[in-house]
Amino acid sequence: MIRFYLLAMGAFLALGLLPKSHRLMNALASGNALLHLLLTCAALLTLDLPVRYGPSLYLDHLNLYVELITALGFCAAAPYAKGYTESLMEEGELDPKNLKLFYLAFNLLLVTATAALFSDNLALFWIFAELTTVCAAVLVAILSARENIDAGLKYVFIVSGAMLFAFLGLIFLFTLSARALGEGTLSWTELMEHASSFSPALLLASFAFVFIGFGAKAGIAPFHTWLPDAYARAPSVSAILSGLMQNLGIYGILRTYALLRVSDSAPQASFILIAAGLFSIALAAFSMLQQRNLKRLIAFSSVEHMGLLLIGIGIGTPLALFWALFYMLIHVLVKEALLFAAGILHRQYGSNLREDVRDVFELQPHAAWTLVLGSIAIVGMPPFPLFPAKFFILLESAAVSPYLTLAVLLLLILAAAAFANFLLNAFSRVTKEKTATEEGKGEGKEEKKGETRGETRGEREREHGKETKHRKKSHQSHQNHQNRYTVKAWMKIPMLLMLALALLLGIWFPEQLKELLEAIVLELGYV
Amino acid sequence: MIDPLYLEGVIKILFVFVLISAALIISTRSLASVLNTYTVQSFLLAAVSFLLYLMEGKSELLLLAGLTLASKVLLIPHFINRIEEKIKIRRDLDFTYLEPTTSLLLSIGLILLSYAFLSRVFGDLALSRLFFFGAVIGLSLTLMGMLVMFSRRKVITKALGYLSMENGVLMFGIFVTELPFILEVLIIIDLIILVLLTSILAVGLDSSIEEYRKKIYKLQIWNGGDAL
Repeated sequence: MIRFYLLAMGAFLALGLLPKSHRLMNALASGNALLHLLLTCAALLTLDLPVRYGPSLYLDHLNLYVELITALGFCAAAPYAKGYTESLMEEGELDPKNLKLFYLAFNLLLVTATAALFSDNLALFWIFAELTTVCAAVLVAILSARENIDAGLKYVFIVSGAMLFAFLGLIFLFTLSARALGEGTLSWTELMEHASSFSPALLLASFAFVFIGFGAKAGIAPFHTWLPDAYARAPSVSAILSGLMQNLGIYGILRTYALLRVSDSAPQASFILIAAGLFSIALAAFSMLQQRNLKRLIAFSSVEHMGLLLIGIGIGTPLALFWALFYMLIHVLVKEALLFAAGILHRQYGSNLREDVRDVFELQPHAAWTLVLGSIAIVGMPPFPLFPAKFFILLESAAVSPYLTLAVLLLLILAAAAFANFLLNAFSRVTKEKTATEEGKGEGKEEKKGETRGETRGEREREHGKETKHRKKSHQSHQNHQNRYTVKAWMKIPMLLMLALALLLGIWFPEQLKELLEAIVLELGYV
Repeated sequence: MIDPLYLEGVIKILFVFVLISAALIISTRSLASVLNTYTVQSFLLAAVSFLLYLMEGKSELLLLAGLTLASKVLLIPHFINRIEEKIKIRRDLDFTYLEPTTSLLLSIGLILLSYAFLSRVFGDLALSRLFFFGAVIGLSLTLMGMLVMFSRRKVITKALGYLSMENGVLMFGIFVTELPFILEVLIIIDLIILVLLTSILAVGLDSSIEEYRKKIYKLQIWNGGDAL
């Protein structure tokens, strides 16, 4: 069945190579994302899950849920990419000839990720996950700049190298199943059935290897080093990296961890997860604290959130898993909104650095407010839905150890402080020019008053002249900032939509979502 | 038929050569000889799987040997050789973090580590002596390839490190279990895509962007440079 899907999508992508106009290419990419979203929704609503088609295509609640998140992320990113790439081409940062490659990789990324998610066979999952790495690296490296190529290469080497370890883990699993069942298999459903009869030591070894691979894909410390570079350099697609690639890694970890839960080595595995999670949060929180680059800040925040997700999975109670799954969805919504806003600011100021941001509320009010609200959301303040998610994960973590809760809480506060620090520093910068105009206005009023009062005008005029000169000067020095970058509607709407969706989920928890998450928890064998 | 014990002896000798090739990849500075070493290493792998075929008579092993020969001894080295000619780098002198001597010492440690690890894990798995050693060598090769990726600066050498890692994984796979053949094919396809991507990017890294276009054009990977 996966073969048919790939064939259909291959034909679709070949079709996507035909159009010459950017509008059409983008429409195809958006249509592709929308199609995946609609199909996922339809499957969730109509099918009696889990279902299996053919030997390798397998649909259950978990992979449909992750696919839903992925497709949603792509739906938002595709229209945004149009405005962003257009402005990149205007600035000469992106070669128009590369546009086709950009969209090819963009569509291919979604297709390979979908194929990875729905393949029951872990080896197929591995291969498709590798292909997503390749597509994503193309997206990172596509700009005509050396740093991008550097970031892309770093990404490929770290993730693919780590994924080879995951393959070693799969070989272990295969051997295990061959011993227990007589014939080796890597089908997840079959492994899940017989996992209790596998040798715990080998199962743990295979989990450790698989964890290295998928951990690198998810951006978990110490394999996260590709992430800040890729985020900082990638053109707007970093949003997809966060929305999709990292979740794909977490998905792989979830699946393999579910195998271990029934065996005797579950405590060691959950220790690995919690330790890696805590390390990621700590490393990210300290790296964020003095971060001056906005996209890097957001990237490290991703590392932090993946760490928290791992802790949520590693605790191993149904409640923690439930909220960790919910967390996956909200994290993508908020992170994409933040990255879209950061992209708009990058277009405005031509850099991601804190020092270059000026007059942000005047120039880019939407992006600025999205960043403010998004930061509030990402650090887990109510009414945003990350608050209950973090709250319950922390609550459950107390069952493992109260010190763990305390440590995570402190680190989360540190991360929140980092966001506050950045925003206060960046957004409070207002150029003199603005104050000058205000003063000028005030002067005008006073002048009128002065006139009526009949005071000496000469002195005032001289002062006024000085002021205008000063204004001109400051105008020149900030001329590049003053050219306001006009944000197209299709860049603004996805950003605001994602944020609004996150806010909505904070206020109203749909019954269907709750049922879906509960079904996943049951399917993964958490009782 | 050839005596299985004799074949086992030959395979064991090949193991030693595989390890030597891994050590050479870690320490050699000339790019051309790193590439040659990799080619020899892949050839050794193909030979090992051919000898195993003679011992066990499983046709997958013969196919694997053929596939390895075609892709890793002929195709990939040929491609990388062309790239090396284009970017005109002869030697990779820079090492980050680790100098060759330290990495060689470290890799001895890695071999011992994988031996200790596998003897613990495979304790309850009835593997014959030869197969156990094969697994150890495979794992050490993977770890040593990782060391190359860490310590080398140039992208081409990093890519060769990755390739040698993959050789290790394949070797581990051969000796520990019989993977379905389709999997091996998929891995090799994945490998080829990765090598293509990284080496094209390496060309870009080595030159300014205008030169890059010209070089890509010269390589005739895409006609007319329409795509990249």
